[in-house]
Amino acid sequence: MNILEAKKIHKSYGNKFMKQEVLKGIDISIEKGEFVTIMGASGSGKTTLLNVLSTIDRVSHGTIRIEEKELTGQKEKQLAEFRKHHLGFIFQEYNLLDTLTVKENILLPLSITKASKKEANVKFHAVAVELGIEDIAEKYPHEISGGQKQRTSAARAFIHEPGIIFADEPTGALDSKSASDLLGKLSDLNEKREATIVMVSHDPVAASYSSRVVFIKDGHIYTQLNKGGQSRQAFLKDIMKTQGVLGGVQYDH
Amino acid sequence: MTINQLIFRNMKKNLTNYYLYVFALVFSVALYFSFVTLQYDPSMNEATGTIRGAAALRAASILLVSIVAVFLIYANNLFIKRRSKEIGLLQLIGMTKQRIFHILSAENLILYFGSLVIGIALGFSISKLMTMIVFKVTGVEGVASLNFSSEALVQTLLVFVGVYGLIMLLNYIFIKRQTILSLFHVKQKTESRVRKISIIEIVMGILGLGLIGTGYYVSSKLFDGDFISINSLFAAMIFILASVIIGTYFFYKGSVRFVSNMIRKNKAGYLNVNEVLSLSSIMFRMKSNALLLTIITTVSALAIGLLSLSYISYYSAEKTAEGEAPDDFTFVSTEDAVEFGDALSEQGIGYSDQTTDLVRAEVYIEDIVGADMGNLNFDGSWTSMAIVSDESVEDIDVSENETKFAGYNDAMNKLMNLADSGEIKIRGSDEEIEQEYTGISKIDVLPTFFTYGLPTAVVDDSVFERIESQADPDLQIQSSKFIGLTLEEGASKEEADEIFQSMEVSEKAGNTSQYASTQFQKQNMGLIMFIVGFLGLTFLITSGCILYFKQMDEGDEEQPSYTILRKLGYTRKDLVRGIQSKQVFNFGIPLIIGLIHSYFAVQSGWFLFGTEVWTPMLIVMGVYTALYSIFGLLSVLYYKKVIREAL
Repeated sequence: MNILEAKKIHKSYGNKFMKQEVLKGIDISIEKGEFVTIMGASGSGKTTLLNVLSTIDRVSHGTIRIEEKELTGQKEKQLAEFRKHHLGFIFQEYNLLDTLTVKENILLPLSITKASKKEANVKFHAVAVELGIEDIAEKYPHEISGGQKQRTSAARAFIHEPGIIFADEPTGALDSKSASDLLGKLSDLNEKREATIVMVSHDPVAASYSSRVVFIKDGHIYTQLNKGGQSRQAFLKDIMKTQGVLGGVQYDH
Repeated sequence: MTINQLIFRNMKKNLTNYYLYVFALVFSVALYFSFVTLQYDPSMNEATGTIRGAAALRAASILLVSIVAVFLIYANNLFIKRRSKEIGLLQLIGMTKQRIFHILSAENLILYFGSLVIGIALGFSISKLMTMIVFKVTGVEGVASLNFSSEALVQTLLVFVGVYGLIMLLNYIFIKRQTILSLFHVKQKTESRVRKISIIEIVMGILGLGLIGTGYYVSSKLFDGDFISINSLFAAMIFILASVIIGTYFFYKGSVRFVSNMIRKNKAGYLNVNEVLSLSSIMFRMKSNALLLTIITTVSALAIGLLSLSYISYYSAEKTAEGEAPDDFTFVSTEDAVEFGDALSEQGIGYSDQTTDLVRAEVYIEDIVGADMGNLNFDGSWTSMAIVSDESVEDIDVSENETKFAGYNDAMNKLMNLADSGEIKIRGSDEEIEQEYTGISKIDVLPTFFTYGLPTAVVDDSVFERIESQADPDLQIQSSKFIGLTLEEGASKEEADEIFQSMEVSEKAGNTSQYASTQFQKQNMGLIMFIVGFLGLTFLITSGCILYFKQMDEGDEEQPSYTILRKLGYTRKDLVRGIQSKQVFNFGIPLIIGLIHSYFAVQSGWFLFGTEVWTPMLIVMGVYTALYSIFGLLSVLYYKKVIREAL
């Protein structure tokens, strides 16, 4: 079953005279429980794609449906309501509130949905154990490492069991050890909780943790790779090969 | 591109950053200049001629300078913080710190002195307006012709050049201290690391409350006769100020954090959006907030206190005049009253008259006089008072063995501290009449000419006749009746007063015009009222602006948090609601504490200013709260904009 279906999405910035088209008609569908990575060079439109899919930005044309719900024509308030219940976010720069402790940050999404305190504590415990951040619950963001911050951010994305989790370069600011730690945890959670994850990355290693990779170039989908039954190493090789062909610069013939 | 071009372009580009700064500058200059112009204006001589008046003005202008300096330094700090990135960039391309400082100084020079000129022009028109108001209010005769005073100009220029030097020095230190990296990051830097709550903080909070309490206590004793010499009085005042201000600081630093921490602990990490935006943000910034809130509280308390006192004096002017002369015109002999009445009729001014008979007798009031009479040099045992029959007072009716007092004001009550009921005795030449005292009424019955400032005793008609028949001739004054003339509604009091003043009867003791008396009171209090009112308004605007600027700064700093929250699915409405509760705290707490402070300040010394306290004080507090809330509303509007732009 498709949890997300986007058809012919266009996105352009600027006015009539100075139009910059970033997305030029992208069709994408994501099944429930999938771990999809969107890859592409800088400026290919991958972050823009993630933003419009996650309702943070609006499309110029096209339709996006998540869980059978049409999202393109919705009012801002309804979109916020939708994000609240159905979406989770992980960002490159963590996006934790400095004024709150780790636990308070993680519980934020639950407090909007007005879950009971007991329920919240149970959920917090479960997700914190899985991500290994239970012992830093009372610490403030400035007291913990980058890896811990990103795991906190991940915990916040998972805690209210959203339909889809969007991750924008989650490993971009991490060292390689913390990065592989986090990705391992993400794919664990993806399997255990059957959480659907859509990740944007330009790192082939990060992409190799997912089950499908979508390549974007200049606002179009260039190609897709499925992991299928192969090992992560073999998948990584495939990805790197495709990336090599994709290249960054267009040559004049 | 030459340096000059760079400076010019920078200014053009930074207009959005500058507007705040320019506003602060123009505002301060205008305020200061208008104040100094008034100070130097020859038409104010009548008011400032006294030594006390001149000293008060000088003290006020020093206070004004320090407030203006603090305000400008604060605005400049915000301003340079906003431009830290640009300064870092200039350093990155190889400009020396010295050079950057020169550019900044030159920019500031243009801005600063541009604003100075605008401010002076504005200040001149403000002072023109103010003189007209002063003359209107105080009734000091004279044309409000204001001269552009070169002395005032020089003094204003000197002060602001001084402030400019100070600001440049601070900027120099700021630039000198910064590295390229830290300049890029200054905006993200958190103000204070959140620490675990400590015992010290709890102790600090309790100590703060203790200090405030001590200050209040000493202030209530200030004029009770414990501090007799000027020096000890002055020392006591300094002590009160210091203990209350330091106490307030400790209170904010300790108690507020302690209480919010308790609430937060209780939540066990599960905060709703209101708490996220208010509680945690307030705690996070408590270190810098404690100082700022203390300043705001002190300034507000000063402003409310000063405004209350000045309004008390104005408000009391009319009341005092009414006490002195209960009717529009009072006469102590029938012939004078008839003569004046005829003059009024000739001019076609309608009036009604009432004659009240009175007698003076000794009254034993020791039982109903409060304890602190000691410092009045009068024991209250047998006191000579004016007595009237209840038939001549419309609103009072007493039985044969009852006496009611009339003509009371807050100041008299403070001094005499009369009980609500008790036994009194009235002495005639043959007998002592025992009476039941049943309380005091605010109605003014007799002019001070008869009462000597004490209340009037109102007794039953039969009792009055008894006392009158055996009155002690030594106690009586030349007249035993007074005739009150009340003008018809709509008749011009001013016109009637002119007629009164032009007649010979006005020269006689006891014949008074309420209008003239009010004018006299207002003139007496006018200058104090003006200075104090001016300072109070300045404080109000300054404290409001500082808080507003601080909130703008905080809003800009917290914008990333709003972005995160909105991405997580909080709506704009959720966020605005959270901000509102935060602002209720940020603006409300200093206001409430300031109101309490000023209440005690007013209570300690209001009777030096006037005779009525509650009505004028409450009016001032209400108006202040309303004006102050405008700044709170403005800050919420600004936050709304920040939140809207956050996603």
